[in-house]
Amino acid sequence: MKQPWAWVAWLVAVLVLLSITRNPLYLVIILLCIFIVGFSLRESGSGLLRPFSLWKFALWILAFTTVFNALTSHYGQTVLFTIPGNLPLLSGDVTLEAMVYGATNGLILIGMLASFMVLSLALPVRDLINLIPRPFFPVAVVTSIAVTYLPTTLRQFQQIREAQAIRGHQMRTLRDWLPLLMPLLVGGLEHAMQLAEAMTARGFASTNSVAGGRQVLPRVFLLFGVVMLAIGWIYNLSVNQTMGWIIIAAGVVLITIGLWQEGKQSHRTTYHRRTWGWQDILTLIVTLCILAIFLLPIPGLNRSSLYYDPYPKLSSPSFSPILGLAMLGLLTPGYFVLSRNHPGDKYSNAEKRILNGNPRL
Amino acid sequence: MKSRIFSLAIYLAATLSGMMVLLYPFFLPVLSNRAGYGTFRAGEMPAMMTLLLGLCLVVLIIEAQGKLMNTKLIALLGVLVAINSALRFIETAIPGPGGFTPIFFLIILVGYAFGGRIGFLMGAFTMFVSALVTGGVGPWLPGQMFTAGWVGMSAIFLKLFIEPLMLRMKQKNTTGINPEILALAIYGLLWGFLYGAIMNLWQWPFIMGVQGQSWQVGLGFTETIRHYLAYYLVTSLIWDTIAAIGNLLLILAFGAATLKALRRFKKRFVFNYIPEAEPISKTMHEEFSG
Repeated sequence: MKQPWAWVAWLVAVLVLLSITRNPLYLVIILLCIFIVGFSLRESGSGLLRPFSLWKFALWILAFTTVFNALTSHYGQTVLFTIPGNLPLLSGDVTLEAMVYGATNGLILIGMLASFMVLSLALPVRDLINLIPRPFFPVAVVTSIAVTYLPTTLRQFQQIREAQAIRGHQMRTLRDWLPLLMPLLVGGLEHAMQLAEAMTARGFASTNSVAGGRQVLPRVFLLFGVVMLAIGWIYNLSVNQTMGWIIIAAGVVLITIGLWQEGKQSHRTTYHRRTWGWQDILTLIVTLCILAIFLLPIPGLNRSSLYYDPYPKLSSPSFSPILGLAMLGLLTPGYFVLSRNHPGDKYSNAEKRILNGNPRL
Repeated sequence: MKSRIFSLAIYLAATLSGMMVLLYPFFLPVLSNRAGYGTFRAGEMPAMMTLLLGLCLVVLIIEAQGKLMNTKLIALLGVLVAINSALRFIETAIPGPGGFTPIFFLIILVGYAFGGRIGFLMGAFTMFVSALVTGGVGPWLPGQMFTAGWVGMSAIFLKLFIEPLMLRMKQKNTTGINPEILALAIYGLLWGFLYGAIMNLWQWPFIMGVQGQSWQVGLGFTETIRHYLAYYLVTSLIWDTIAAIGNLLLILAFGAATLKALRRFKKRFVFNYIPEAEPISKTMHEEFSG
């Protein structure tokens, strides 16, 4: 499964589910699905590994949100203990309901963070940059340069540190960082100059279609689109919710037209276009089905179990097997990744031919 | 001229709309006394805020990138964003105390030296690229990009105060602490608190806290501000104080040298070669007559 848009569809489905339910049972199912998909990508994922452990971070978030809400929100009827005195924020009853509410918030946060981590593990950074739409061509180039230059910068920082250490440089005060920072900055800027010259020599931004002046019409659409968003927001909050939504939708349409017009001015060539395989199409269909089950009005389907409030007295959350089963559809990409990791499929057909001594092209 | 007016209008409209999206808990009581907001809409509000703030950000980026079709500026921005993202990467791997982060120091100085547009892109894309490489992409990212963009964009306004001051000091031939660096350091200190205060607005209306700190429907403007200040003092002040002092110290320690390097490179980067066109009719006349 390599099509970035199929992964984006999966991510959207996860985020929608996380935002429409507060039932801890469903949240645990969603989290399990995310972690299983993430676990399946550990071996074959082409994205970046994180500089910190997700497990530790998740536990920290869960502990923090639970304790914070328990200590600051004194609602609920099941009192565990009472903090005496007149301490601002803290004094009062610590309730089980507040702990459950805080833990639910933590589960939602962990789910959001983990789902984005799975996406960045599944897709290499170049695919993520390719997702940047055409109107943002210049900033996509900036992002591309920055992502490419980042490992070089880290390596350069290490080299400068070692060079300064050999000269006897010691880090005692804040100002001792200056001999590290300045060579890094000046070296980077020199590199930028060389890069700019190389880009100019290769004819970047030299054609009229790219470097030509900006049209006024797309900017008119963008301007009115933003104004409509602001008006719609105020309307939605204060006067009429439905009318507000309509005005916001009109603003979104105007901005989309403006972006489309802007995009027409820039031409982008993709040398290696990702194709849609059957696994990608199936993942897309499953995620669309999940979204339909949870968002569209389906007769006979009761979604009331999605909402759960531990206040004022803790009760066990209800559970609908149909909704729980539908959530398991989020495992689809994980299944495809695991089936690809099967020992029999360790090597591609071309690699198998080379290993068999028959490197036929 | 027409293009500049358009530019200004788009910047203003997108910035004000973004601010309205973030600041709605404060102005909502002024607009309406209707019940049913607050935690009732807690499910949809974060998604709605992400969408609207994301769209305002998109419009700002489209406008700011407009004149970026210059290889020198693209390469400069790409490399500066990479350096700043590397600083954030190091900070993620080896966390500093509290909210200390080294990224705003460079965003402020770049915004001040190269102008608001580059400052905005520097702030927004530092957040974007560093989120890509540290796994920090999430619904909070548009808000972070927007606010960090403001940090860089608004640094240029300091010139309005600093340049006359520097001129006066030069005329009087007074020596002492560099007012430019001092002003930038104070600016960094203020943004240390402001950044945290703005980012808090993301979740504050949906948190059920103690009475007197959480957002409640039907409160007046002053009372809402009072509740928010109480919430900020309890939950964020210490964290943001460390961030603000970090910004102040970094600018005081490295500001002068960094600004000098940026200005030296600005002369090399921000120029455009425009070949002097000879009057064609005259040349042709000389060719034909000669």
